[in-house]
Amino acid sequence: MNSPLKINRIAVLGSGVMGSQIACHLANAGFSVDLLDRVVESESGPQTDLAAKSLQAAFKLSPDPLFSPSLKSRIRTGNFDAHLEWISAADWILECIVEQREAKIALFDRVEAHRRPGTPISTNTSGIPIGSLLHGRSADFQSCFLGTHFFNPPRYLNLLEIIPSSQTDRKWVDFFLAFGRQFLGKTTVECRDTPAFIANRIGVYSIMQLLHQMQLLSILPETIERFSGPLIGRPKSATFRTADVVGLDTFIKVASGLASVATTEREKQVFQLPNFLTSMVDRGWLGQKSGQGFFKKVKQPDGSSDIHILDLNRMEYRPQEKYRGPLLDSMKLLDAPLERLSLLVKSNEQPGPFFKFLMLDLLSYSAEQLPEIAGDVFKIDEALKAGFGWSHGPFEIWDALGFDWVLAEQKAAGLPVPNWIENMQKSGQKHFYSSQQGISHYRDFVRAADIPVPGKEGFILLSNLYADKTLWSNSGTRITNLGDGVLNLSFHTKMNSIGAEVIQGIHKAIDMAEAEGWNGLVISNDGENFSAGANLALILMLALEQEWDELNFAVKAFQKATMRLRYSDIPVVLAPHGLTLGGGCEMCLHADAIVASAETYIGLVEVGVGLIPGGGGSKEFALRASDEFGEGGIRTNVLRNRFLTIGQAKVATSALQAFDLGIFRKGQDRFTMNAAQRIGLAKQTALLLSEAGYVRPRMREDILVLGREGLGIVYAGANSMKAGNYISEHDQRISEKLGWVMCGGDLSQPQQVSESYLLDLEREAFLSLLGSKPTLQRIQHMLKTGKPLRN
Amino acid sequence: METAYIIDGYRSAVGKAPRGSLRNLRADDLGAQVLRQLLAKIPQLDPSRIDDVMVGNATPEAEQGLNLGRMISLMGLNTDAVPGLTINRYCASGLETIALAAARIQSGMADCIVAGGVETMSPIPFGGWRLVPNPKVAKAHPDWYWGMGLTAEEVARRYHIGREAQDAFALNSHQKAVKAQEEGWLQRGIVPIEVEDVSVVDGKRRLKTTVFDRDEGPRADTTLEALAGLKPVFDAKGTVTAGNASQTSDGAAFVLLMSEKMRSELGLTPRARFVSYHAVGLEPAIMGMGPIHAVPGVLKRAGLTLNNIDLIELNEAFASQSLAVQQALDLDPNKLNVHGGAIALGHPLGCTGAKLTVQILNELERRNQRYGLVTMCVGTGQGAAGIIERL
Repeated sequence: MNSPLKINRIAVLGSGVMGSQIACHLANAGFSVDLLDRVVESESGPQTDLAAKSLQAAFKLSPDPLFSPSLKSRIRTGNFDAHLEWISAADWILECIVEQREAKIALFDRVEAHRRPGTPISTNTSGIPIGSLLHGRSADFQSCFLGTHFFNPPRYLNLLEIIPSSQTDRKWVDFFLAFGRQFLGKTTVECRDTPAFIANRIGVYSIMQLLHQMQLLSILPETIERFSGPLIGRPKSATFRTADVVGLDTFIKVASGLASVATTEREKQVFQLPNFLTSMVDRGWLGQKSGQGFFKKVKQPDGSSDIHILDLNRMEYRPQEKYRGPLLDSMKLLDAPLERLSLLVKSNEQPGPFFKFLMLDLLSYSAEQLPEIAGDVFKIDEALKAGFGWSHGPFEIWDALGFDWVLAEQKAAGLPVPNWIENMQKSGQKHFYSSQQGISHYRDFVRAADIPVPGKEGFILLSNLYADKTLWSNSGTRITNLGDGVLNLSFHTKMNSIGAEVIQGIHKAIDMAEAEGWNGLVISNDGENFSAGANLALILMLALEQEWDELNFAVKAFQKATMRLRYSDIPVVLAPHGLTLGGGCEMCLHADAIVASAETYIGLVEVGVGLIPGGGGSKEFALRASDEFGEGGIRTNVLRNRFLTIGQAKVATSALQAFDLGIFRKGQDRFTMNAAQRIGLAKQTALLLSEAGYVRPRMREDILVLGREGLGIVYAGANSMKAGNYISEHDQRISEKLGWVMCGGDLSQPQQVSESYLLDLEREAFLSLLGSKPTLQRIQHMLKTGKPLRN
Repeated sequence: METAYIIDGYRSAVGKAPRGSLRNLRADDLGAQVLRQLLAKIPQLDPSRIDDVMVGNATPEAEQGLNLGRMISLMGLNTDAVPGLTINRYCASGLETIALAAARIQSGMADCIVAGGVETMSPIPFGGWRLVPNPKVAKAHPDWYWGMGLTAEEVARRYHIGREAQDAFALNSHQKAVKAQEEGWLQRGIVPIEVEDVSVVDGKRRLKTTVFDRDEGPRADTTLEALAGLKPVFDAKGTVTAGNASQTSDGAAFVLLMSEKMRSELGLTPRARFVSYHAVGLEPAIMGMGPIHAVPGVLKRAGLTLNNIDLIELNEAFASQSLAVQQALDLDPNKLNVHGGAIALGHPLGCTGAKLTVQILNELERRNQRYGLVTMCVGTGQGAAGIIERL
């Protein structure tokens, strides 16, 4: 990025819920942050440490706003009275104080005394027009001023809306669009300075319309909740749970703000609050923050708790009714959310017609608003996807449902259709998106051309490549040509789990690359997660049928596959993101290099299902411990550290933590703030390794294992944990098996062993645990409930 | 048999570990400071006439390694003529050295020995840096390697000592210790320790010297509610918490023992006589009960009964074992730990036996009483007890 500015230090003004969390995320990105807030008058005198207190509260939030506690020291706190001069050293000033125009303007008066001319300054607001904050500002300030609208929680919600005023220098708009993407990992969307900008305008409209329609048609809220979540590509928290988490007051504030500036009848009606909503707020039922909202946790007489739902007619909580019906069953058979959505809205069975109207209305409203708030379709789609967690934006849905079908149904329903849509139909160019040469294009209606979606340079979207670039596939994997002589292997199993087809894919990809002279191989996946680990259902079935030979063969095949990732003639780079557990983690442990998304949740979690890592993970941790022993170091402590990472099934909550856990390697592995960059960077890394002269590494035969020197502490430690009721008897057995592998067995003295020796021990231990009943119970429980069983 | 006299004895105040005032003072420096000040009180004694320096220490490695006893002799005595010895019987080490010194004098193999103990738990992890249990033992007898907390839980279970009783005991310990501090009763045995701190402040090296002379464990602000709010730390379903267990500490204590011959030659008035000592072994899983065997043993050897004993220092390793021992031996609460114990005042493992000896000697004098009993449980299933007679 050709940048007008290198940012090092950022001043964040205002330490509320957003300010303190934004400060944390800026620290995640590597910046030094000054977090300032006002001096508050209190009975005990002026409170000068508001920012420090807010920050401490933010540190305790779950999910964690920080990648790692080690980043805390990057944030310095102060107050406006004593430390405002700090902003003279800031490369970017980010104002996040209370949503009041007068307060913001008053603060800007003070900021101007210290701000270096030419320093960009932005406001984080969801509702105040950016242009209305320029009053009294210098020309320099005005040209450097813009809106940067983060979504809560700023680490996890990917949208950053960039809103210039009429006075903003274009260079700062371009700068923050690129900066937010590259350095903060955000999807940045340029918005016009219109009420609530893009995501909230459309997103809140869609929720409000849902609430109105629900009342009209008397559909049960739990039915809506069931259908408006992951089933149609929306977040797990669906509709009402999302409202509870966000807080009804926050939600209503945006809706009321929009109602107050609404110019069309449509907006006036939709943004008007339904009675039940007002009455919920009157009762203080604001959601999670007040303990109840649309949902309430109710303690049962037996001590368990149940989540009850609000009956909106009687304003009482009642047990939820479970929705059942053929429509749901047939939707569940489909893999892709858009296919399920299509089935839903084209069904005559309720809630099909309910969602059909909502969807037609949403698409109509989005089309109607587009010229005013966005100008381009991709801005609306990107904003909704990143800000509200939708899998697809309105115009992508429109493409999927069929342009003509949507238009015809909208007209039949009497919904407004804007001119530009009518023109589209006339022109015959009836698509909003297309993929050309693997690159997403959007339809620009002014230029009447398909233009690459901007800001995606360097991003590789695998799904765009599948049609033209697939070289080989089996039932669970695909090998794709990424260009420049680099292959990609991707998984297409449920949760990207690892079974025989994935192992075959790994071998095939490396065979191809070696035989055909490719430069390197990337292993990366689309979707929310890299891989949930091994295919447990398959393992369970073989174990129940006591197919030991076959199991032994399967585990050996997996070990061979992970070993080939490291010991092949080509560099293999893995690009994990999201959940990367168990076998997925073991694959990463054997990569030549890793380019992870910053949001990677990686760990060896096998003990949760009564096993130890059996795909080379236990071996690899023994190997890494050996490399960490050092001359004269305390070897048992190093081993214990490695042992506990597996034994306690530790999962890194960020890529940065994966370094702390010894899963990623400093200097060899890296991560990118923007998940969409990972595949492109992984490809570049493979090329770099290849061009630097990649030679197949030698298998290790010098792994120092401790034998009995280490085994004693394993046995004594496991017994103490059991005696202290911290682990079960089966946990103790698993710990001892793991210790046995990592110590190389009961060798009478420390000695060097080979990888294959350790792999044999690992496999034996894995199989012997599979032959134990408590392990099978754990696997069954995990498959049934998705949660670990502590037996 | 010769008589082993205790001529004098002193201790450092006890610092909290690992973040207290003595956290950066090495064990050898700390021990040498106490030793020097002990000898300064007895100018008649030429240090080169001392026959041995015996130092109890429960973790003789790292800063406490390289034969701590010999190092303290060299550093504290200004002569290389006096040998040094390091003794480890875990929490009884500081009493063990005094008993050993007494035995040498009683048998005529020595005339003058400095004995005591030093422990700095701040820099060294519990159990030492490099724990290497024998895997065969760990499999066959895992309780031999149990942490002390687990044994305290086992005692609580077997002897039915509940959480409330433990917390009440802990509170009482703090209250007694705070009272003793307010009255200045503990100061008589404490010598001031100089602590050097060289740190980088504002980019420059800076030397700061402070004097430490007051036990920092007792908490006047502890309440039953606060104690009840603590979570168990050794057993998820247990009753032993950081509040009703002894504190980890840093400290040093030494006494000077002498034969009648040398005492009369130098014209010194003894403060006490070392009467007897007894150490026992028992099931490691309930090591906390060690005193119930050690106390009858030492009384028998001394030809005394509990009725003869005026004051008892029972090391408060844990409230659970202290209560169980108190009940089993039917110890008189008015004689027991009159200024509180290790739960409030701290437990610098290898030093504790000597520290309690110094403490009980001063209290016997203050009360004008005669016999004092020091006893403690010892890790891996042991117990120890010693008796002194104030003169």
